[in-house]
Amino acid sequence: MELLNLSIRELNKLFVNKKAKPSELYSEIFDRSASSEAALHAHLSLFEETNLEKAKNSDERFSNSENVGLLDGIPLAIKDNINIKNEKTTCSSKMLSNFVSPYNATVISKLDTEQAIYTGKTNLDEFAMGSSTENSAFGLTRNPWNTDYVPGGSSGGSAASVASRSSIAALGSDTGGSIRQPASFCGLVGFKPTYGTVSRYGLVAFASSLDQIGPISKSVDDARIIYSSISGHDSLDSTSINDEQIDLPFDKNATIGIVKELMEDGISEESKKEVDKVIDILKQKGYNIKEVSLPLIKLSISIYYLIAPAECSANLARFDGVRYGLRVDGKTSYEMMENTRAEGFGDEVKRRILLGTYALSAGYYDEYYGKALRARKKMVDEFSSIFKECDYLISPTTPTEAFKAGEKTSNPLEMYMSDLCTIPANLAGLPAISIPTGLSSNNLPLGVQIMSKPLTDNSLLNFSEMLEKELDFNRTPEDWSK
Amino acid sequence: MNLKPTIGIETHIELNTNTKMFCRCKVVDTEDPNISLCPTCIGLPGALPVPNEKAIRYITLLALATGCAITKKGMFHRKNYFYPDLPKNYQISQFDLPVGENGKLEIVIDNEKDYVEIERVHMEEDTGKSSHEGTGRIDSATSTSLDFNRSGVPLVEIVTKPVIQSSKVAVAYIEELRQLAIDLDISEGKLEKGNLRFDANISVAPSKSDELGTKVEIKNMNSLRSLERAIDYEIKRQSSAIENGESIIQETRHWDESKETTTSMRSKEGSADYRYFSDPDLPNMVLSDKFVNQVKESLPSLPHENRNKLVETGLDLSDSNVLSKSEKWILELYFKVFDNTKDSKATFNWITGELQGQMRKLEIKSLPEWFSPNFLSDIIQLIDANKISFTSGKVILEELIQKDTTPDDVAKKLNLYQENDESAISKIVNEVIKNNQDIVERIKNGEDKLVGFMVGQIIKSSGGSINPGIAKEILSKELNL
Repeated sequence: MELLNLSIRELNKLFVNKKAKPSELYSEIFDRSASSEAALHAHLSLFEETNLEKAKNSDERFSNSENVGLLDGIPLAIKDNINIKNEKTTCSSKMLSNFVSPYNATVISKLDTEQAIYTGKTNLDEFAMGSSTENSAFGLTRNPWNTDYVPGGSSGGSAASVASRSSIAALGSDTGGSIRQPASFCGLVGFKPTYGTVSRYGLVAFASSLDQIGPISKSVDDARIIYSSISGHDSLDSTSINDEQIDLPFDKNATIGIVKELMEDGISEESKKEVDKVIDILKQKGYNIKEVSLPLIKLSISIYYLIAPAECSANLARFDGVRYGLRVDGKTSYEMMENTRAEGFGDEVKRRILLGTYALSAGYYDEYYGKALRARKKMVDEFSSIFKECDYLISPTTPTEAFKAGEKTSNPLEMYMSDLCTIPANLAGLPAISIPTGLSSNNLPLGVQIMSKPLTDNSLLNFSEMLEKELDFNRTPEDWSK
Repeated sequence: MNLKPTIGIETHIELNTNTKMFCRCKVVDTEDPNISLCPTCIGLPGALPVPNEKAIRYITLLALATGCAITKKGMFHRKNYFYPDLPKNYQISQFDLPVGENGKLEIVIDNEKDYVEIERVHMEEDTGKSSHEGTGRIDSATSTSLDFNRSGVPLVEIVTKPVIQSSKVAVAYIEELRQLAIDLDISEGKLEKGNLRFDANISVAPSKSDELGTKVEIKNMNSLRSLERAIDYEIKRQSSAIENGESIIQETRHWDESKETTTSMRSKEGSADYRYFSDPDLPNMVLSDKFVNQVKESLPSLPHENRNKLVETGLDLSDSNVLSKSEKWILELYFKVFDNTKDSKATFNWITGELQGQMRKLEIKSLPEWFSPNFLSDIIQLIDANKISFTSGKVILEELIQKDTTPDDVAKKLNLYQENDESAISKIVNEVIKNNQDIVERIKNGEDKLVGFMVGQIIKSSGGSINPGIAKEILSKELNL
């Protein structure tokens, strides 16, 4: 039976009714990756051997009707910046190429209790810095829809894995769009939850105030199942929140805002058309739709590229060759640290560390980092007032469809622009989702992004699911081996 | 040229919490390296800090006890610098929003009250410990060993304003701060263990100048003695440089204990730009009125309050200061004994002199259970009433420390009660005169030094119960000397 295209709920139903076994799914998954990895390089490591026992145990539970939940026996791919105990966490960096984590991230502990299975660790832009998965020390990942193209990033490995069906769903992390943009490029659902609803403990930090773990999946329902498993207050993460979800209407009583600034220059006609398509559907269904303006959104890339590098310059300081990871010797301790960092980090990581160090330097703090913080605060206020009039905000997820590998590597600024639509949600801590809407003239997926106010994740998922049904995208990439 | 020194002191006090500041690793006191570690305190990728509420309570206690204004909405900041024993290569500290600001600490100098103004009181996490083999300096060590047991242990940093003008005041300030930490029960306060560490910023300027001179930071002072000597040395060094027309360089200098000099530290951290910014892993440190009030209510009697109470008993400020820096049980003992004797000076002398002296001699740290404060007041009162001699008092005290008995029993057993009946004493004196006619003869012929021998004989005959002064007095009367 072909299990790979099924949703988590469908698979679980088959397992429960003893019409299929987790170990059968397990075999199909690894058969698939055996053929897809050479073309795509979605995974940095595959856990075929180590997780077989888990799949068999899962069989056992289902046959005894002792299964623990919807994720029991479901193979998930994990982005390689999330720690799984006794497995390597490389962050696609030479710096951590030999680092084996002695502990589990909280999201992994939670998935473990639900008896989920891991296919392996997926490729990413080094330390999640990038938008194409080309900044990996271990080679780029390709887009399953067309291997000349990038899968997006930084969670490009996770997206390529799900799109190529070498996992049922995946975890990614999203600092400026790193879940939503690759999901959009690969025709998938990518969900970045409200900041603080999913623990960051065990996620290798890029920019702590922006990072959030979330699912990349084939459907909104799959995203919901994973989100409800990994979310919840965690005493190990001081920024974890314990507040109740807020309900928004998701039927036609909901008010939809179209973000004017994200439908202007810099956004391709094709991307705008997808939003128009969604607007038409919503209009037909009787939703109240209005154009809204958030002027500060235009500054979001500038704000982001001060705040994220500033935080990363401190977050990545711990990689010094002293306690773990790469060590390049030197005559003194300082020389050793310098040599290690010079050799261990790639260019994009160094670029951001330097940028952040500069932005925080004495005499420049107020002008750069301080100003960015104030602008961020204003942007949060701007969103708050918009969310008094609107329940959901719709925009393209990305300015364009996926670009070709190598196309933007020599121009970092152009690469940064591909996160234009996604960054605001990180700056404001909002839940945001990308759902696939259609294919471009190049036969590459496009998507739209929906944002809502903090702590309305469940309503956002419900609303998105309604749209997903209407859009009926339901396409899979074919023949990526070309 | 008339020059005046100005000193500011930064002190780090290690808090005696059970666990570290941002993880739940135990704070351990051991030479075994790297036994109390976790992903957070060794800076593994992905690990996050969770603040220790007890440590924040302790820091608030100290801030309140030094009269600081409490910052209601404080922040944790990252202080960025690279050092092998700093796992994250940033230290979680506080910058512009510390727990407390603008306080003062009362100290006693030469029987007078003085005050040292406090600029700020804030939280900081400790680093690991480096041992640089070979030279002891990071830049030239052949290898460096690291122990991260101390990494993440909570510290409170207390920064004075630049108001201290001598090493004497500096030492008194540290002694007072140490006592405060002990009385608040927030630290062991042991200098030799590094529970309390201090750096001094020293500058020298012309006496008439309103501006401070160029400041030099002195590190590596491990005892009060080295603090005193380092400050004195540095004041002299800077003064003679200024007098010779040389300029002072703003720098960090290292106190060399063996050579008793300061030397320039050319380490890279010397000129660091710490690039402080608010730690995005930690929410604001909100100290609610309710929390602050609770902490306020839990404040114990502070050293300066103890001194005031002691002065009220009649002690001078200097003696009160000594007692305020004693262990808590000594202070309590003083008040209990004083309640009975109402004699502050005798109570003070017996406790700080005889009792503590005997305990030192016997190498015991605390009094035995049976030892009642009444024993001391009994002894003082017996001496005062001339019922026993001062020497006997000491003998009785020594017995009481070692045996479960009472002053009365010891006095009786060792026959230490003095004979105060003059006719009875005269009888013994005459007896001794009768038995030592030859000595009496020699005394009368001018051998005065034999009076002592006769007094000894009298005390011996009485079995030690006669006060030597009285014996001598009566002997003199009987012999018409």
